[in-house]
Amino acid sequence: MDPLKFGVLVKLEPDFSEGNVSYNADGTLNRAETKSILGPHSAVACSAAFYGKVKFGAKVMVGTMGPPIADSALQQAQMICDADELHLYSDRLFAGADTLATAEVLKTGVEKATIGKADIVFSGHRASDGETGQTGPQTAWKLGYSFLGNVIDYDLDPEKRLIRAKRLISLQGFHDVIEEVESPLPAFLALDPSYKPFFHKVSERLAEQKYLKEARERARDYKKYLTVFNVQQLGVDPKKVGLPGSPTIVYKVEKIPKAMASRKAQVIDGSDAASIRGVAEKIYQVLGGDVK
Amino acid sequence: MTQEGAKYEHLYVVIEHEDGQPVPVSLEMLGEARRLMDGFNSKYSSDEKVVAVVLGNQIRPLCDELIFYGADVVIYADSPELTHAQSLIDTKVLNQIATDAALVKQYSPGSADFLKPRYMFFAADSIGRHLSSTVLASLDSGLASDINKLVIEDLDIKHEHKTKGLNLKYEKTLEMYRPDFSGFLWTTILCLDNRNPANPREFHPQACSIIPGVFEPLERNEGRKGMVIDFQPKLEPGDLKVKTLSRQLIQSAVQFDGKKSIVSFGRGIKDAPEENIQLIESLAQVIGAEIGVSLPISKKPFPVNERESSTYMIADRVIGTSGRKVAPALYIAIGISGAMQHIVGMKEAGFVIAINPDEDCPMKDECDIFIKGRMEDVLPALIEQLRIVKPAAVEVKKR
Repeated sequence: MDPLKFGVLVKLEPDFSEGNVSYNADGTLNRAETKSILGPHSAVACSAAFYGKVKFGAKVMVGTMGPPIADSALQQAQMICDADELHLYSDRLFAGADTLATAEVLKTGVEKATIGKADIVFSGHRASDGETGQTGPQTAWKLGYSFLGNVIDYDLDPEKRLIRAKRLISLQGFHDVIEEVESPLPAFLALDPSYKPFFHKVSERLAEQKYLKEARERARDYKKYLTVFNVQQLGVDPKKVGLPGSPTIVYKVEKIPKAMASRKAQVIDGSDAASIRGVAEKIYQVLGGDVK
Repeated sequence: MTQEGAKYEHLYVVIEHEDGQPVPVSLEMLGEARRLMDGFNSKYSSDEKVVAVVLGNQIRPLCDELIFYGADVVIYADSPELTHAQSLIDTKVLNQIATDAALVKQYSPGSADFLKPRYMFFAADSIGRHLSSTVLASLDSGLASDINKLVIEDLDIKHEHKTKGLNLKYEKTLEMYRPDFSGFLWTTILCLDNRNPANPREFHPQACSIIPGVFEPLERNEGRKGMVIDFQPKLEPGDLKVKTLSRQLIQSAVQFDGKKSIVSFGRGIKDAPEENIQLIESLAQVIGAEIGVSLPISKKPFPVNERESSTYMIADRVIGTSGRKVAPALYIAIGISGAMQHIVGMKEAGFVIAINPDEDCPMKDECDIFIKGRMEDVLPALIEQLRIVKPAAVEVKKR
């Protein structure tokens, strides 16, 4: 039986962890001062692909669209999932792409994998900077793959070419639902941030160690696995990517005006013990004395 | 631009429900759709409709309800296959509905050249975010996500690609405002035709997903009139290949509902994250509060011990647009600056206390008592006073 083939779509994002992230005085992100890393949701997608590598010996291709420096995201991704192939889709003509135009590039890229046609494509939940969560499902639609979002767990039957996935659906103002679904391959999975792979059997743990060692070695020499594609090399229609392929534009960016004060605050000096005592009394008054 | 008007008309709202009960954001979207289209029809002397789209099974009473909440028309696809939301089938059916001109003639005989809706709304939740993405990919048009303000206007646009640098008027353009991740910037997204002669293209509908909890639903009014139209989806065997094996309702591990008080913290813990979280735990314990966090905290921005990290820096505790909406009698916001996304989640609280060293932070306008100071200083003092005052308060209750 042919090994399973996976695609993983990742993104280079600002690093929001303390010490790396930098904010302007007005509270907005200072992009120039903030480092970039493999996005945390992209890392989750990589670990989901790694699970399939360990359990089923899958081959993995990781792809990203971005400027030349985005290859660092691919290297970090390879470290997690021991990728066999890395793709960077990079061209000035891709600049200014919205999610639809980005999905067109990623879809075409996934189809270019030399490991073969992907049985499963993984993406993260959403990017930490754009936060739209649209690119994954739109790429799935363009690929013609069934899309399973909010995946917290999955398993495969490689013989029957079936995937079973658990999805966490949160209905705001309602309850949450865990849904178990089954789909024939190929399928596209967007992982919930809470996804974590577990390896229960000794044989799986041994395979995990073996592939992690291989991943470290490969990532040290990641350029050997890397192919960079421009518009021509990708063979994508220039009218469907970048600005021409983007229905949406950012019309303006403004500071959110300070809302009308919805409450009138009494300001209290935090170093004044008498005032703090007053707050403590007020707290019990509001709670109606109902404290445990 | 009458030609354009004839091909792309009406506002379609994709309704979410759970077994026929509308999810609150569905009614909120209808309310906003009604307000927008009333303004639109009076401004442009037109009669374009608010069309609610329902996919489900044996939930006709919901369709009638939607009219009472502002829909002119409800398009209802009823099939056992549509009982629960499922990306592949729902996308196909919504695509069919959005491109069905014969359907439109049933409620708007004047719409002779209908191709697609003018506008389309989805909910920005776990279902709607994905569904809007695939539906708009299938309709080959643009989508803005997580919107909290909408305006329809005629705009003069000058864009390097869309207009090739010329100044052109775009009529009836939907301005879609989305707060960025920081909550301080508002980005306006437009979905515009390419009028560049090198690459002309029409992009319709103009679509967005809408943040739950920001728009008000209309008052239910049985006097509102409208029509329900049945739609027969055309499903092929391949559309049914994804099967739902089981569905289980779950309660979140963190229960805010029914709590009289909630204590929340944000990035302000940064100077001593571990010690500050311990102070916040003590405060919560004294008054019997549940603990919430702002969105940035769930991204684990500070290194703390494993117990605190896995107990508190988690998505389940996030209060705001990306998490829960709460309305306790008492809400204490500690080291939270007050980004719009957070305010949406707690504005219904009864009494609000904020602790923050920065008196200019937006949180100050959203609280009843603002304690100016560092949490490292204020919390120990407040906890001590609460312990001292506590017996007296309980005494008062007993009498």
